[in-house]
Amino acid sequence: MKIIGVYNIKGGVGKTAAAVNLAHLAARAGRRTLIWDLDPQAAATFYFRVKPRIKGGSRKLLRGQRDLDRLIKGTDYANLDLLPADFSYRNMDLQLSAAKRPGLQLQRLLRQLSAEFDYLFLDCPPSISLLSENVFRAADALLIPTIPTTLSVRTYEQLQRFIQDNGIDGVKRLPFFSMVDRRKRMHLDILETMPKKFPELLATEIPYAAEIEQMGIYRQPLFGYVASGSGAASAYRALWQEVRRVI
Amino acid sequence: MNTQNRQFQLPAELEAQTIIERISAQLPLGKRIEERDLLTYYDSFDWRLFGSGMELIVRRQGRKRTLQLRSQNDGGLIESLTAGTRMPVFCRDLPAGGGMRRALDGVLQMRALMPQVELRSRITTLPVLDDEEKTVARIAFERHAAREPGKGKFRDVPGRLLLLPIRGYEESFERLIGILLEAYALPPGNEGLLAAALAAIGRIAGGYSSKLDFSFQPEQPAASVAREIQLQLLATLELNLDGTKANLDSEFLHDLRVAVRRARSALTQIKGVFPATDVERFKPELAWIGQITGESRDMDVYLLDYDRYRTSLPQRLRPDLDPLHDFLQAHQKSAYRKMVRQLNSERFRRLLADWRDYLQSTSTGSDDAPAALASIAQVANKRIYRIYKRVLAEGSLINADSPAEALHELRKNCKKLRYLIEFFQSLYPKSDVQPMIRAMKQLLDNLGLFQDLEVQAEKLRHFAHQMVAEGEVPVDTLLAMGMLVDGLLRRQAEVRLDFGSSFAEFSGSENRKAFKALFAGKTEAA
Ligand SMILES: Nc1ncnc2c1ncn2[C@@H]1O[C@H](COP(=O)(O)OP(=O)(O)OP(=O)(O)O)[C@@H](O)[C@H]1O
Ligand SMILES: [Mg+2]
Repeated sequence: MKIIGVYNIKGGVGKTAAAVNLAHLAARAGRRTLIWDLDPQAAATFYFRVKPRIKGGSRKLLRGQRDLDRLIKGTDYANLDLLPADFSYRNMDLQLSAAKRPGLQLQRLLRQLSAEFDYLFLDCPPSISLLSENVFRAADALLIPTIPTTLSVRTYEQLQRFIQDNGIDGVKRLPFFSMVDRRKRMHLDILETMPKKFPELLATEIPYAAEIEQMGIYRQPLFGYVASGSGAASAYRALWQEVRRVI
Repeated sequence: MNTQNRQFQLPAELEAQTIIERISAQLPLGKRIEERDLLTYYDSFDWRLFGSGMELIVRRQGRKRTLQLRSQNDGGLIESLTAGTRMPVFCRDLPAGGGMRRALDGVLQMRALMPQVELRSRITTLPVLDDEEKTVARIAFERHAAREPGKGKFRDVPGRLLLLPIRGYEESFERLIGILLEAYALPPGNEGLLAAALAAIGRIAGGYSSKLDFSFQPEQPAASVAREIQLQLLATLELNLDGTKANLDSEFLHDLRVAVRRARSALTQIKGVFPATDVERFKPELAWIGQITGESRDMDVYLLDYDRYRTSLPQRLRPDLDPLHDFLQAHQKSAYRKMVRQLNSERFRRLLADWRDYLQSTSTGSDDAPAALASIAQVANKRIYRIYKRVLAEGSLINADSPAEALHELRKNCKKLRYLIEFFQSLYPKSDVQPMIRAMKQLLDNLGLFQDLEVQAEKLRHFAHQMVAEGEVPVDTLLAMGMLVDGLLRRQAEVRLDFGSSFAEFSGSENRKAFKALFAGKTEAA
């Protein structure tokens, strides 16, 4: 099982959109895929029309008193399952820090799923926390949607430093440009300069597109309602191709 | 924690619409999806995939084909593959190193994939929704029709209603089942779709096997048993005839030849059941089938073994062998052409017809066939025990200095013994016969390998001469073949060393006692 954390310190950058659409693409290719909505705001859970509730909350889950297996919900799409969000996830840091090896709790927990799925997508909440450290240590790759602005570049550097300082070396960083608006001067500038600085940057960019925003209206992944030739759809397909190749 | 599908029979007169309306009065249903499907099930002639719990489904998509290997039990996908415009026939046609090839290699071996049945389906699926309009289960109505692959009329396959659970919504699923069953007393359906499709065209999966499967009663008259054996072997021969002529794969000819060998053995070894004049009449004719098919089989064997030959050489010399492959292929083609002419001949056609007529004619008992009316148990015991003693006697005379012929002769008798025991297995308790067959198989494998290696070495030398006679052949090729001959003879010498232990096991006192008790007990008492 490949674990892909979809993460950024910043909020509203297209993490959930990427996690949902890429997971859907993987599932459509026949891969057994799970998406875990780790964000108490429950956006991914909402897109899949699942109730944002898990029995026993995160406390029991982290203590291993609940089989993850029994909490998983099938989505409307073949091969694609969801581990829903729960409001109690807001306290996860506290619960994690109570454990013996606080940074490795998630990794330990996810082992039980490894035979059942080919891909696990972790849709992370924004901010940097003990939970995100757990994600970094558990994941094979971190997919990092990045809006092409000066500030985004700074936060990416912050993240880089955090990962290095904490000696987390098992995870591949895969930043990509998200919500790109080529009419904006600054976007164009950053698109030009950032790849030179960060060779790990993926080539695919996800454009700013009204179609993507409409996921919330349709409550479906993008491919549930757009024509397959749409620009946004093609961009996510290209992104998935690229990610699959490098992980 | 995956709940299983629930499957029901869907009577032809019960309209899907009626059921949908009934259920939607109690559960919100979403938009229906109509799908049409056309697919073909593939398997080998002898159903090897089916026999190992798998099904291969092939769909055409434009000019391409998609192959899906599924598990029979739960329909789970094992492997899938998009193939080019040509349907892969043999394992070697599948992408090397790919999952499909890995999954099929050991199962299919040298056999060809053949279309078995074509299935046309109309499937209507409706989601059952919750208050968020999330799908919590599905209902599928399936109407199918089947036909022989690519030809004939489609025939109806009984319809099915499927309830499909969604993980994590077990309660909704139970509720759906309850509502459906309360409204309609639908009988459960647990037949697989492949089995149903085959039944619709009058066939069954696993309908052919080259294994002998007789069931006789000890008191049956020997002549009628012998006829039954021969008729079954004749049927096997005939079933393999088309595939042999078309050379679909090498196993058709192999099974055909095994059937003929068994028939010859039965004809001469189940003694006294047919008048001697009749035996004398058919014996040479059956031997003739062996002759006209021999060369083709030889070529098949070399081609099947070619890769092994090649890899037995040092890496650097392997390409030197390639002209041999061309030679084998060319000669296989011409051997088959010659054989097919014979198999299409009047003589062959008449032989099969006469043999069948003879076996089906009712005449029993004659002065010339003293054992015809004896009980089969008596005849079987006597023959098996006699051949067994002959094998023991011959085998115990063999020592390190015995000529190879002595081992070949022993093999012949061993084979007779094996065929006899296989024909009459059903007369004896399984637990008694199985260990004997195993010990015998080990001895036979040893003797068989010993002889095959010699024949192969001899044949390879012969090929070398033939290649020279036929024209230019690189010296390097001849040298490589020489190395093969050397390797074969070396192995033969090694195999010979194993003979002692194989025979010791076979002739051990355990086995002797068992043979005596099983085959000699009754006759001696009588
Ligand atoms: N490429 C895009 N073009 C236009 N709108 C987008 C695009 N990607 C995401 N959006 C919209 O922007 C909003 C935020 O996106 P999303 O929820 O994917 O980001 P996020 O990083 O997961 O946010 P959060 O940090 O709150 O979890 C959503 O309304 C979404 O529909
Ligand atoms: Mg989000």
